[in-house]
Amino acid sequence: MERVVKNYPTSTRPALDDVDVDIDKGEFVFLVGSSGSGKSTFLRLILKEEVPSAGRVHVAGKDLSTLSSWKVPALRRSIGCVFQDFRLLPNKTVFQNVAFALEVIGKPQGTIDKVVPEVLDLVGLDGKAQRMPDELSGGEQQRVAVARAFVNRPMILIADEPTGNLDPQTSVGIMKLLDRINRTGTTVVMATHDSAIVDSMRRRVVELSQGKVVRDQSRGVYGYGA
Amino acid sequence: MRAQFVLSEIFIGLRRNLTMTIALVITTALSLALVGSAMLMRKQVSEMKDFWYGKIEVTIFLCDPVSDTGQCHKTAVSQDQQSAIQTALYANPVVQKVYYESKADAYKHFKDLFKDSPDLTKNVSPDALPPSYRVKLKDPKKFDVIQSEFQDMPGVDAVTDVSKGLKPVFSLFNGIGTSAFVVAGFVVVASVLLIFNAIRVAAFSRRRETGIMRLVGASNLYIRLPFLLEGALAGVIGAAIAAGLVSIGKAYLVDQVLAPNLKFARWVSWADVIHIFPVLFLIGIVLSTLSSFFAIQRHLRV
Repeated sequence: MERVVKNYPTSTRPALDDVDVDIDKGEFVFLVGSSGSGKSTFLRLILKEEVPSAGRVHVAGKDLSTLSSWKVPALRRSIGCVFQDFRLLPNKTVFQNVAFALEVIGKPQGTIDKVVPEVLDLVGLDGKAQRMPDELSGGEQQRVAVARAFVNRPMILIADEPTGNLDPQTSVGIMKLLDRINRTGTTVVMATHDSAIVDSMRRRVVELSQGKVVRDQSRGVYGYGA
Repeated sequence: MRAQFVLSEIFIGLRRNLTMTIALVITTALSLALVGSAMLMRKQVSEMKDFWYGKIEVTIFLCDPVSDTGQCHKTAVSQDQQSAIQTALYANPVVQKVYYESKADAYKHFKDLFKDSPDLTKNVSPDALPPSYRVKLKDPKKFDVIQSEFQDMPGVDAVTDVSKGLKPVFSLFNGIGTSAFVVAGFVVVASVLLIFNAIRVAAFSRRRETGIMRLVGASNLYIRLPFLLEGALAGVIGAAIAAGLVSIGKAYLVDQVLAPNLKFARWVSWADVIHIFPVLFLIGIVLSTLSSFFAIQRHLRV
């Protein structure tokens, strides 16, 4: 059904300059490039947090430039987000943090009680549901964030440097988790600086530099190789 | 939409800024109480006007042996003079109704009026009061017309405007009412600004939550509703307190102090008081919701 297409012939301002990328459903894509190369802008455009100054963005077959503003929430429900700084609510337990994402889109309590333990189990946090975020390690907190992003079974998962605050070993755990999520058919778009991870995963790599796509290879590595 | 979730959000929000919440509830209550009193004041004035204008406005006292003024010279009005006056009254276009009050009627009326003060009635003999025509006018303001026409007629002692004595009372009440409206206006502005600020602070202190709500695709309404309802709730509580204050004012100031001592008029009833409650609630809710709405527009990105 949903072919995810994003065309970005964008912008006079070179946050992203004439970027044209297609990402298919079910793909796992690394977005690499130095700071300021436009990775975050790329991700924000998918969420319609920003609108392109020129050009069009298509997500799940819909043209975001013609998407009316009251349909934006529906778009965002089909996209999960994970960030470098986790963005958990410190005054809620792990369970409540994940449940919050469902509560605020009006899911009934019965569904929440059923789905949240499932997704916590998936990310390997079963048994820690009643902990507060500050009682968890960074890796565990990021798992909570992934659980929250994935609990609504989005078609796309966006990760903006999810391993940026984590040590390499913990990062591998998170990457395995994202990989497992990708295997359920969810498209994963991940912006990262972590060359070891990109090299080890051998997935599609899109490199941005000064707002331009300078490389797009399937099964790529981080560096300027091959 | 899950009501329980929205409700808990509202109470979390109100508790978080407890001092601000109290401040805005108090100012809302005060401003609405002032609006309410001003409205009652207006009501009181119109009530009094109805009461008095509904009665006889002009009294034409006729000459009598007891009266020494003007053209009477201690002689009673003659039959001819009296019928001339009566004919002129009935012929006058501004006159609506004429009642004749004989000396006996006047004495009875007087005794009725002062039945609580036996000292006063004891000292007045049935002869002491002059006969009079009580005249009701089509337009109460046309007193001058009557006065100039009848003042110099033979047999007329004096023409008095009954409502004249009340004019200072009316203007006093009107003045109090207007000042209450003006003060209420200022306090309303203060409470609107306070609500605006409280919602702004609430939006800021909950920016993590609202940020996540946006990301996971909560609808605009769902994100905004707790803030809007928070403002509306403050408005409702404020209006309720204002209603209480106005009721206390009615129960003590009007019923206990004014009404027993000033019996010359009908005072505002509980029905009048209850009639203004919906207005207070409406103003409270509309103003607080509007100001929170603008606060959200400005300070909550959706």
